[in-house]
Amino acid sequence: MPFDANDDVPDEALLVLFANGDSAAARALTRRLTPRVMAHAYRLLGNRAEAEDVAQEAMLRLWKQARDWRQGEAKVTTWLYRVVANLCIDRQRRTRGGSVALDAIPEPADGRASADETLQERARAEALQAALNDLPERQRQAVVLRHIEGLANPEIAEIMEITIEAVESLTSRGKRALSAALAGRQEELGYVDER
Amino acid sequence: MSMSDKQRTGDGLGGFFEAARGHAPTPSPDLLARVLADAEATQQPARLPSTSEGLVVRLYRLLGGWPAMAGLATAALTGIWIGTALPEGLIGTAEAAYLVDITPEMAFDLAGGEF
Repeated sequence: MPFDANDDVPDEALLVLFANGDSAAARALTRRLTPRVMAHAYRLLGNRAEAEDVAQEAMLRLWKQARDWRQGEAKVTTWLYRVVANLCIDRQRRTRGGSVALDAIPEPADGRASADETLQERARAEALQAALNDLPERQRQAVVLRHIEGLANPEIAEIMEITIEAVESLTSRGKRALSAALAGRQEELGYVDER
Repeated sequence: MSMSDKQRTGDGLGGFFEAARGHAPTPSPDLLARVLADAEATQQPARLPSTSEGLVVRLYRLLGGWPAMAGLATAALTGIWIGTALPEGLIGTAEAAYLVDITPEMAFDLAGGEF
């Protein structure tokens, strides 16, 4: 089966195939889920090398869980976001404090953007990541899930195992802190005309 | 959700979130290879069931493991117990009087020599 022939198959179905020894399902899940897991870990940790380690560990836990996966209880991505967050929190408590490696932010794939725009977008992404790193863990997780991963509050509540009201409170406080942290840099980052 | 996000948040953060989404770190080929290698290593037992297991172990698994074996053992022991130690409580005194083991010759005599 081609590497990406399973794009229409839900993650949960691919996981069942994986548990039954289907190697194409293993490749499809790796290709589909590793980028999401890696990006989420990076946003929580602010460090690419550590994010890669967390991504590998989270995916390994998924592979081990596959045979005991209970259908209909949770989406695979919901489960993975929770595992990634727990692994990141464990790491941060061990090492205390993330860091933004400036060369860790990848070059954008879109070659149409001008060099200035590209640099400005990178600077914005880096500034946001630096501000995210200063947020308390739970606020950072809620803001990332809501405003970067684009998840709805009920799914975030399931991932974080809290109420929807608590999610709203965390994102609200997180955004206030981000706004305050980035307020002084908006002009520098090209937001003069947009305000 | 660039503009709509910015309008919805109303705090000037929409552009930052958009930039973060546009600059998502992508996994290196090495990471993808490691993840796939882990997947294949985890799958290995599922693909190649061990043939070194003995017949008893395979039968044990086939019958359903320890819960099924516990049920079978209980049933067997109960059968043995009923067969060797018939509980008196199950038989009334009147019936017990007739529960006498006699030889065929004695049965012939008791029947008055007629069978």
